[in-house]
Amino acid sequence: MASRRRMLLKVIILGDSGVGKTSLMNQYVNRKFSNQYKATIGADFLTKEVQFEDRLYTLQIWDTAGQERFQSLGVAFYRGADCCVLVYDVNVMKSFENLNNWREEFLIQASPSDPENFPFVVLGNKIDVDGGNSRVVSEKKAKAWCASKGIPYFETSAKEGFNVDAAFQCIAKNALKNEPEEEIYLPDTIDVAGGNQPRSTGCEC
Amino acid sequence: MHEIDVHDLSDDADYAASVQQGSASMNRSNSSKQGSSGEQEGAEIVYVKDNVAIHPTQYASERISGRLKLIKQGGSLFMTWIPYKGQSSSARLSEKDKSLYTIRAVPFSDVRSIRRHTPTLGWQYVIVVLSSGLAFPPLYFYNGGVREFLATIKQHAYLVRSADDANVFLVNDFQDPLQRTLSSLELPRAVSVTNSPSSAAAPSESPSSWMDGETFDRNSALAQQNARQRQKHNDPARDLSIQVLEKFSLVTRFARETTSQLFGEAQGDGFITNDRRKHDGKTHDYPRIAESNDAQKLPEDVPVPADPLEFDKLSLVWGKPRQPPLGTEEWSAFLDSEGRITDSETVRKRIFYGGVEPDLRKEVWRFLLGYHSYDSTYAEREYLVSVKKSEYETIKNQWKSISKEQAKRFTKFRERRGLIEKDVVRTDRSISFYEEDDSPNIKCLRDILLTYSFYNFDLGYCQGMSDLLSPILFVMGDESETFWCFVALMERLGPNFNRDQNGMHSQLFALSKLVELLDIPLHNYFEQKDCLNYFFCFRWVLIQFKRQAVFIYLYLVSCREFEFEQTIRLWEVLWTHYGSEHLQLYVCVAILKRHRSKIIGEGMDFDTLLKFINELSGHIDLDAILRDAEALCICAGENGESCIPPGTPPSLPVDDTSMYYQQDDDDVL
Repeated sequence: MASRRRMLLKVIILGDSGVGKTSLMNQYVNRKFSNQYKATIGADFLTKEVQFEDRLYTLQIWDTAGQERFQSLGVAFYRGADCCVLVYDVNVMKSFENLNNWREEFLIQASPSDPENFPFVVLGNKIDVDGGNSRVVSEKKAKAWCASKGIPYFETSAKEGFNVDAAFQCIAKNALKNEPEEEIYLPDTIDVAGGNQPRSTGCEC
Repeated sequence: MHEIDVHDLSDDADYAASVQQGSASMNRSNSSKQGSSGEQEGAEIVYVKDNVAIHPTQYASERISGRLKLIKQGGSLFMTWIPYKGQSSSARLSEKDKSLYTIRAVPFSDVRSIRRHTPTLGWQYVIVVLSSGLAFPPLYFYNGGVREFLATIKQHAYLVRSADDANVFLVNDFQDPLQRTLSSLELPRAVSVTNSPSSAAAPSESPSSWMDGETFDRNSALAQQNARQRQKHNDPARDLSIQVLEKFSLVTRFARETTSQLFGEAQGDGFITNDRRKHDGKTHDYPRIAESNDAQKLPEDVPVPADPLEFDKLSLVWGKPRQPPLGTEEWSAFLDSEGRITDSETVRKRIFYGGVEPDLRKEVWRFLLGYHSYDSTYAEREYLVSVKKSEYETIKNQWKSISKEQAKRFTKFRERRGLIEKDVVRTDRSISFYEEDDSPNIKCLRDILLTYSFYNFDLGYCQGMSDLLSPILFVMGDESETFWCFVALMERLGPNFNRDQNGMHSQLFALSKLVELLDIPLHNYFEQKDCLNYFFCFRWVLIQFKRQAVFIYLYLVSCREFEFEQTIRLWEVLWTHYGSEHLQLYVCVAILKRHRSKIIGEGMDFDTLLKFINELSGHIDLDAILRDAEALCICAGENGESCIPPGTPPSLPVDDTSMYYQQDDDDVL
């Protein structure tokens, strides 16, 4: 059991309601997109096998309710997380402004052993909407905020599957970095995201 | 998220409101008390009820019937209950027993509270608890009259409904309302007392198994219980569990003996479900495919502890057979010439066992949800509808009249509207009623939710509400009518959506206590797996089993419309509050018990369990689960109700105002 536990990487997706958390998860795991995902009540997760070098890991991706009122559930769902993904909608300013709240709330509820270095990844989703014309959060602004916190940043479209894989590879890599048992892996020498991914601005871990 | 705490003065406001309300009703009753006490000097019987009985044992046939009276003397109110002479229902009950239980002129100044119980089967009863913490045995009202009993007391003494539990009435309660929670929580476990001095001398002669008829204080009683049943830790729920199992096993002993042979082998290896099917196809509702999968997946070396109620569930009650839904003709028979429903209890019972025919729902749901009162006339309802319609329009106009310019400066409004608009377009879109992208019904959902968020600005909008609203609109059709029915529903379920989620937490807590009571091995398993927070049942409870394609008949192909219909049927049964206000919790227990051997056998941990429950589908037919839930509810009885903290949704709120919406605005209102 102990070894199996080590192979499991737990990732939590947080962000305001309607930014596309469920869609991102489904796009990454099932390569599917639907306009009709229901609002997430409580929490759910999907798993996906990922391979790094010659080892297999199970990525367990937790999708949570986006309304802040449900945060008291976090205690149960966030524990044991290896990486936290913060999602906002590039077309909704408030969802960007809330990122820091989500980050802080996560650190409080998950209380990781080393909060200073706990890995986060930020995703700016829905860049496809209206050909980018309804966008209100500029890439520059988002990058600047992420850089100030040392957080990798990706722009994605769950609908079109754009940059989703790259983002999740970075997420998985960061989750691995958080695993204290994995001494073989020295994540800062690995660049699974690759340099050729479009719009990947982060993961210089 | 953090900064909103600065604005959060709601606790103070709620506190002030409740204090205010408390003092208002205090003044009312004080003045009536003074007014009447001056006029009457001698003793006056203000209430009398025949056929009020005590059951000294668990046998329904053994009862002592008597006359209950409320007597007013010198401004004080007294209660007496005197058993009838020479009319014993059973030879086993002696005259001594009768005098043991006689209640002789107890002044209401000594009474702390009265708890009202309305069991699924059987008669309404009350438990009177004294200020000392001692309680009289339950008084069963065979001829009805609990309501008048309470109303009469209210006229003559200071009686308020507990803020926490609509079925608890506090007498002489001037405490901080927030402290009531604890005291009323303890009520059901209060120790019985009889006021006969002989009882203490001869406890062993008392036939009462549950109290020994002995007078002792609460602490020593608990100590004694613990000494008797020192199992693990002195958790009263554990004792209750043993108690209820013992009680239940007595009732079912006969049936048990006849079936134990049949299931002996099943118990041996723990695979009860599989063996059960072979022997009892009739009562068995596991889908065959799922079952064979179960059997393959179950690791052979994991023993599944037997379900303590398994035999009993099959052999005893296991719920009454379900009936066809209530139809128009039958419904009209319940209405008198002016449209009043004189026997609401029977109506609720009827709906509990069969639901309502789709065409009739529009009419009946208004009563079930509490929008219309059962004793209203046609004319009164017609009037109410028109008044409420214009009231709805008024509230709706409050947000409709917000101009673009105004909205630009009204962030909270924009955010609230945005959240609602995001959710209505993803609510039940697979149902043809909401299918079209420009469906007027989606717009209607939006308008109602936005109007509700103005009607109840403190609660605002919370995810899950659209899920609760959508079936109501589907049934009611009319916007204003739907709104007011939703308002009535939210009166009960509002605390689930509070910022602190108190309604959810108390329900999940109660659920854990019920499982502990009704299935100790399963409880122990959850404890071992650190799953006692029951968050894996969160969705079930919050949106009342919606989206959970659990309730599909075996022989029908899974179909979204059918699933929707099943949810609706389940809801109307839950809304009858027949038997228990908290049937939804027993439904949770019933489903968990149905899957216990899979859960334990596969060694599910929190994650697996959550996934398993989120994806449970097409596995159980609704009628079977309702029968299970009913049986569990009966089995748990009073001990079950005592697992449920006062004020747990969907208990009715305190009298007229909802004082327990504790949250202020959060980020999205």
